[in-house]
Amino acid sequence: MLVQIAWRNIWRNKSRSLVVISAIIIGVWAGIFILSFSWGLYKNNIDESVYRQLSHLQIHHPRFVEENDSKFSIPNTDEIIAQLKGDERIASVSSRVITTGMITSPTTASGVKIYGIDPTAERAQIRLHESVREGAYFESGKDNAILIGEKLAEKLKVKIKSKVVLTFTNVNSEMVSAAFRVGGIYRSKNISLDKMYVYVQQDKLRELLGLQSFESNEIALLVKDEAQLENIKNDTKTLVSEGKIEDWKELSPELGMVIESFNLYTYIVTGIILLALTFGIVNTMLMSVLERIRELGMLMAIGLNKRKIFVMIMLETFYLTLIGCPVGLLIGWLTVEALGKIGINISMFSEGLASYGFSAMIYPALDSQKYVIIVTMCLATSLCAAIYPAYKALQLNPSEAIRKI
Amino acid sequence: MAKTIIDAHNVSKTYHTNMIPVKAVQDVHLHIEEGEFVALVGPSGSGKSTLLNMMGGLDEPTSGTVIIDGVEITDLSENKLIDFRLHNIGFVFQSFNLIPVLTAKENVGFVLQLQKMPKKEREQRVLTLLQEVGLEDKINSKPGELSGGQQQRVAVARALASKPKIILADEPTANLDSASAANLLDIMAKLNKEEKITFLFSTHDQRVIKKARRVITLVDGKVASDVQQSPT
Repeated sequence: MLVQIAWRNIWRNKSRSLVVISAIIIGVWAGIFILSFSWGLYKNNIDESVYRQLSHLQIHHPRFVEENDSKFSIPNTDEIIAQLKGDERIASVSSRVITTGMITSPTTASGVKIYGIDPTAERAQIRLHESVREGAYFESGKDNAILIGEKLAEKLKVKIKSKVVLTFTNVNSEMVSAAFRVGGIYRSKNISLDKMYVYVQQDKLRELLGLQSFESNEIALLVKDEAQLENIKNDTKTLVSEGKIEDWKELSPELGMVIESFNLYTYIVTGIILLALTFGIVNTMLMSVLERIRELGMLMAIGLNKRKIFVMIMLETFYLTLIGCPVGLLIGWLTVEALGKIGINISMFSEGLASYGFSAMIYPALDSQKYVIIVTMCLATSLCAAIYPAYKALQLNPSEAIRKI
Repeated sequence: MAKTIIDAHNVSKTYHTNMIPVKAVQDVHLHIEEGEFVALVGPSGSGKSTLLNMMGGLDEPTSGTVIIDGVEITDLSENKLIDFRLHNIGFVFQSFNLIPVLTAKENVGFVLQLQKMPKKEREQRVLTLLQEVGLEDKINSKPGELSGGQQQRVAVARALASKPKIILADEPTANLDSASAANLLDIMAKLNKEEKITFLFSTHDQRVIKKARRVITLVDGKVASDVQQSPT
């Protein structure tokens, strides 16, 4: 009975109810959109880091991680790579020889991290070839080609075919210098890394460092399904018992924090939107109650107790939310699905975003858990918002209410 | 000897408007027996509605006691009072009597639903009541689709639904034209006579006063006269 009355009551003033429903729809949609956009932005940053730099898992000599010295190498790289390639859960594997040093051009010098890579393997791994803006990706066949970032090239004032010198210490702690020619200039989505990372042929760097052909400093692998990451990590630990195996969250704790902070962000943003919604609902429901004082008084007079009056007002708000929430959810979901495929171009901010590792195309995304959180918070908020108007109704004295016009 | 259905002792009600005490009802003693048809009359502000509300447990006296059918309602908690009203007292107000979103049938059945009467039995009783007030052809009409007189007749049917001992009516004919008022009074008088339901109504309306068998006049919150009369 109360269910029926409450349902009919919300349609007594259609325009007012539609305003509340619209507010709920917009609130839910806005919550979903803002969060999906933000997650798209963060996800973009995470993907950029994982697929263009870190990979899902990295294997190092334990002391290499601590001392960053090339002499701490993984001794049986070939065997490990062969075994990992045989695992169907793994998408790609590559090994790297790494050192830090100085790059010098005729005009200036800069500190760099030098990666000795297998160009073929890295096509699938960090897809560096896609970022090459000038020159070629190790296609000259010459072993002294070097790939440097656009920003670094600007700083060094070098162009394609310009000569640069890399200076670093080898595994015997002797200074080594070698001349390279700029074969390619790349621009990734992370400008700060572009200034730091240079890439050369792995065999060349290995030779200069004095490492054996089966030695490397880093093995990186990408998995096909991230849900399997933990299992693969454990299996890899068995395979390389001496090595230190870290996933991308351990390699880059700030990325893990991004996810943690996003969860907090979810609650804060949704909370702010819903707070605004609360005022709308309180205002509307309060008006609805105050307009019906005589009627509520009459209901109390003929035997409807205050608990039922309270339930009736709460039900009215619940219905409005029950209509608004799924519609907002559907529109929000459709928006995320559509924009998740098309993407949002924020190229006008791309320069600034690139400094932080963000790309200009954002693909909104939101996991189902977040949808549940938004809807639950929306329902809870609207019911909380209804408490005050319902409480006001409880304060009515039937005889005074009946006298009021 | 007829049973006393309403027994009010020294009932007073003082309102405090802008910190100024206003004595709406002062030391009223009232004994109404079962089956009486009583008009409470008096000028505006004489305390008719206040007294009626106190008899119905809608308002609490500042002092004094009200006993309805042996139950001292001034002692009941709020929820018990609501429950008491649900089972023992029917109300007809001047206006805003009905729930606008419910049909005539649903309005009358509302009280029975609160009393948890089974659906089949409830529907039968609702139909009988609406027939009694001559609205069997309007059972599915909402209040907005009914005239003022028809709305008041639905209100009377609803007041009767729970088979109350008393029906309290506050100016029930105030907003009705002569024909509707006469029709409503005839229905009330018939129910009073046939079902022995006690009617106590406040009114200014001479047509209503003439139908009453007892007329209590209030002036300045006090009973100025209490006379028996032959209804015309």
